[in-house]
Amino acid sequence: MALFVVFQTTFFLTLLSLRTYQSEVLAERLPLTPVSLKVSTNSIHQSLHLQWTVHNLPYHQELKMVFQIQISRIETSNVVWVGNYSTTVKWNQVLHWSWESELPLECATHFVRMKSVMDDASFPEPNFWSNWSSWEEVSVQDSLGRGILFVFPKDKLVEEGSNVTICYVSRNIQNNVSCYLEGKQIHGEQLDPHVTAFNLNSVPFIRNRGTNIYCEASQGNVSKGIEGIVLFVSKVLEEPKDFSCETQDFKTLHCTWDPGTDTALGWSKQPSQSYTLFESFSGEKKLCTHKNWCNWQITQDSQETYNFTLIAENYLRKRSVNILFNLTHRVYLMNPFSVNFENVNATNAIMTWKVHSMRNNFTYLCQIELHGEGKMMQYDVSVKVNGEYFLSELEPATEYMARVRCADASHFWKWSEWSGQNFTTLEAAPSEAPDVWRSVNSEPGNHTVTLFWKPLSKLHANGKILFYNVVVENLDKPSRSELRSIPAPANSTKLILDRCSYQICVTANNSVGASPASIIVISVDPENKEVEEERIAGTDGGFSLSWKPQPGDIIGYVVDWCDHPQDVLQWKNVGPNTTSTVISTDAFRPGVRYDFRIYGLSTKRIACLLEKKTGYSQELAPSDNPHVLVDMLTSHSFTLSWKDYSTESQPGFIQGYHVYLKSKARQCHPRFQKAVLSDGSECCKYKIDNPEEKALIVDNLKPESSYEFFVTPFTSAGEGPNATFTKVTTPDEHSSMLIHILLPMVFCVLLIMIVCYLKSQWIKETCYPDIPDPYKSSILSLIKFKENPHLTIMNVSDCIPDAIEVVSKPEGTKIQILGTRKSLTETELTKPNYLYLLPTEKNHSGPGPCICFENFTYNQAASDSGFCGHVPVSPKAPPSMLGLMTSPENVLKALEKNYMNSLGEVPAGETSLNYVSQLASPMSGDKDSLPTNPVEPPHCSEYKMQMAVPLRLALPRPTENSSLSSITLLDPGEHYR
Amino acid sequence: MKEERVVPLLLVLHWKHGAGSPLPITPVNATCAIRHPCHNNLMNQIRSQLAQLNGSANALFILYYTAQGEPFPNNLDKLCGPNVTDFPPFHANGTEKAKLVELYRIVVYLGTSLGNITRDQKILNPSALSLHSKLNATADILRGLLSNVLCRLCSKYHVGHVDVTYGPDTSGKDVFQKKKLGCQLLGKYKETIAVLAQAF
Repeated sequence: MALFVVFQTTFFLTLLSLRTYQSEVLAERLPLTPVSLKVSTNSIHQSLHLQWTVHNLPYHQELKMVFQIQISRIETSNVVWVGNYSTTVKWNQVLHWSWESELPLECATHFVRMKSVMDDASFPEPNFWSNWSSWEEVSVQDSLGRGILFVFPKDKLVEEGSNVTICYVSRNIQNNVSCYLEGKQIHGEQLDPHVTAFNLNSVPFIRNRGTNIYCEASQGNVSKGIEGIVLFVSKVLEEPKDFSCETQDFKTLHCTWDPGTDTALGWSKQPSQSYTLFESFSGEKKLCTHKNWCNWQITQDSQETYNFTLIAENYLRKRSVNILFNLTHRVYLMNPFSVNFENVNATNAIMTWKVHSMRNNFTYLCQIELHGEGKMMQYDVSVKVNGEYFLSELEPATEYMARVRCADASHFWKWSEWSGQNFTTLEAAPSEAPDVWRSVNSEPGNHTVTLFWKPLSKLHANGKILFYNVVVENLDKPSRSELRSIPAPANSTKLILDRCSYQICVTANNSVGASPASIIVISVDPENKEVEEERIAGTDGGFSLSWKPQPGDIIGYVVDWCDHPQDVLQWKNVGPNTTSTVISTDAFRPGVRYDFRIYGLSTKRIACLLEKKTGYSQELAPSDNPHVLVDMLTSHSFTLSWKDYSTESQPGFIQGYHVYLKSKARQCHPRFQKAVLSDGSECCKYKIDNPEEKALIVDNLKPESSYEFFVTPFTSAGEGPNATFTKVTTPDEHSSMLIHILLPMVFCVLLIMIVCYLKSQWIKETCYPDIPDPYKSSILSLIKFKENPHLTIMNVSDCIPDAIEVVSKPEGTKIQILGTRKSLTETELTKPNYLYLLPTEKNHSGPGPCICFENFTYNQAASDSGFCGHVPVSPKAPPSMLGLMTSPENVLKALEKNYMNSLGEVPAGETSLNYVSQLASPMSGDKDSLPTNPVEPPHCSEYKMQMAVPLRLALPRPTENSSLSSITLLDPGEHYR
Repeated sequence: MKEERVVPLLLVLHWKHGAGSPLPITPVNATCAIRHPCHNNLMNQIRSQLAQLNGSANALFILYYTAQGEPFPNNLDKLCGPNVTDFPPFHANGTEKAKLVELYRIVVYLGTSLGNITRDQKILNPSALSLHSKLNATADILRGLLSNVLCRLCSKYHVGHVDVTYGPDTSGKDVFQKKKLGCQLLGKYKETIAVLAQAF
């Protein structure tokens, strides 16, 4: 024990003495002053780099010290920063410290000094600061080189939103320097006569190629130069978002994240941020090559827990996110496979699939989605490896798409991708009767019934409808039902039924079976009821119809109408307790009239017409104007009428007509109102409110005035199209009077003329007979009175026929025959030519003599029925033919040859016409010279108009080479055909 | 003629973007040797190339200063003035031989400078494809022109050595200075090429 006490005492004494010694040693060497302070600059980072040592440190001893550093700018008294730097100092150690200046170092001289104090807990108080070291001056302005203006910092990289100080150094204080950022002048603070600094707060990111900042030195208006810098502003590096890792096979972890904005800058100033994955348990690190995902190899099977740190980094900033997870909680299954459907029928099926096995005893949660008929159903099921699910309540004949996805049931992380397959259920018999309606056309003795039905919806068809069965059964006479099968997709059929009641059943059929029947009954007289049509107004949404409820048993109502322009019958079924409905369909077109018929359906399925309605979904203005006729035009009025105008075929209900009237008079007529037309002109307007009133008497007009009118119908939507006005001019007031007088006068004159014509013979004989009656002559009385009272007057009937002798003198004459132009002088004419127009008495066999004188200016002789003995002869016809042509047939032939107008040119000559007196005896010698038998004269005495024939006109002689034919004589040299 | 040495076929081979290093020293006794026969109508080709360069010089200049952003387009006289101090001189009233020698120096100078500019702009303005294309096309024509001038000098005047200077190396300059120097050089190029096209 004593030994222990001695040992203890000795230990404490030794310790105490050691401590005392140490304190004494330190006390002797203190203060510990920083020495050998050197300051250097780093222009790129705008930093001052300090290095120094501490004297008086004990050998091989570490002391904790605090250094206070002062930094002044421009002059030592202008301290811009004071701070402490704490560190552990060893003997003979060179200490380093850096300070980044916000002001570019080139723009100001900096001064640095420091002092120190021991801050070591092993030494008791009091500790005190050393003396300040001497100021160290740092200036880089001298190294700028030649130039009048310098701008700093060069190519600085900063983060968006940070504050930046730029400055310029101007060698010549006479120069005025202006600085600009992206074209906008910036204003700074002058640090000394040569230096001005600009504080740019919260610099924006403009472009990754950097922002030009420049300063211009000038004297007056003379520019001395421009210098500038490019400031590279980087976007702020964002923290990666949605960082997560998962495995599909327990071999690889796939980590993903959203990288956010790319902070890369041009000029290689800053590349895109890098991403590094660090796992803290294993201590492994991986530099990711992609910016939004990285794969991590799972090497240790035993490691269940992972602690990942994702570090995003660029030149300015570092960001990191961390996740800690258990590997089994991050299982992202591969999508299921071998999806199949078994036992598929009309309403159910069994779906099977397989899951990729991960580890033993794994339970999977699978989700099934069934899409079909626009609906989606979802089911969850727990499986081991092989999955199976019974899909029920399916629709027949429907294509479904079923898909499945799975996840770890123990620790749900996320669903796998979907795996799916399509399948179609089998058909079933249609579940609903087709909607059937009919239209009936009654004809004498029968009805033409057209049945219409709507195709069943897919929901009710339960498959493809193949045909429709129509069964017609006569209700009045027991007979066999008639069945008709109409192949789909027909939606109507026509039946011709006699005047009996019929029940018609319609069913839709698919490959499995028939639908319930739709029954309709056609009565004996289906459309017998006269129903008045009511007008209704439609809207954009359709037609709102209402009707009076029907007493009795009504099982429902049907409204039918026709779609235009397809003219397809449409109908709508309405329940028995409803008396109104809205018919709305996109098929309704503006300006089309729709006729609705409302039927009530009795319990016997007989349709009875209740009401008719008609209307337009939207009325339009009339498409055309009536064709207006002007009647009864007088000097004071006229009537306009347009009876043919149809009001039914218009795109709106015609409400009436507007009659526009223009006249020179400013004032409108009574009943008319002033109106302004679309072209700005004024006119008078009359409104007719009755669409069936299609005439208007416009009266109170002025005679001999022009009026213009225009008639247009109007509907509720407006008037008909613009058209031109029609002009009407009223006649003179007296003209009608004249007509009243003139017309009777003309009538009278005409009457007289007709009477005269009818009695012309009588008048002629009375007033101017052709052969004056000697007995009636006044001369007769005179003769009787003066010379011979016994003188008698010879009767015409007493005279002997005469002949006309035509004597021609051939000498020096030349006759040209038309056509041949052969001169007649070539033929010797030695004898006088005679034209015997009448036979001699010997040959006369008629009852009495007849004298016929031809009027040579009248060219109708040959065509006259009274053939008078002269014969038309072709100029070329030989004389021998003359006899032949004396017969009527020959004459007709000659006429056909159109020789009637063939004229021989007869020269003026000595030919003369000798008139042989009727009383003179015929020359016997002349009989022989007649070439043919003379034509038998008619039993009449006919005188045709005689006229004097000039001497130069003569008939050609009937020579051998010439012919006797000319009837009409013309001047020489003129030839007519 | 054997005293007149060198040549810079090697220069053509070494002329790459950013070439600013001095040429290898040519042996003193190197002869004026051309590997391939020169074209018969060399002067016409030279004239044609100068005319081609002259035709595209202004478009290249505009493309360049537009791509640099403000203040360049609106301060051309201050930032892009042809103040290139060490640019080789040219005397249009000299003999053809003298003019060809001066042309040779100018083309060498422009070629290296254009190489620097092309390199800088590809880094700074990677998306300015039309500018890059124009710079490359101009450099190609300059290379052809240099070859033709060399042929002419060698074949007709037996000149095998020409002292040349290169454009300034901009690699150590800050970005603004690079833009400015490039603009000044292209301004000078536009001005000089017009004189050259006129002189030949």
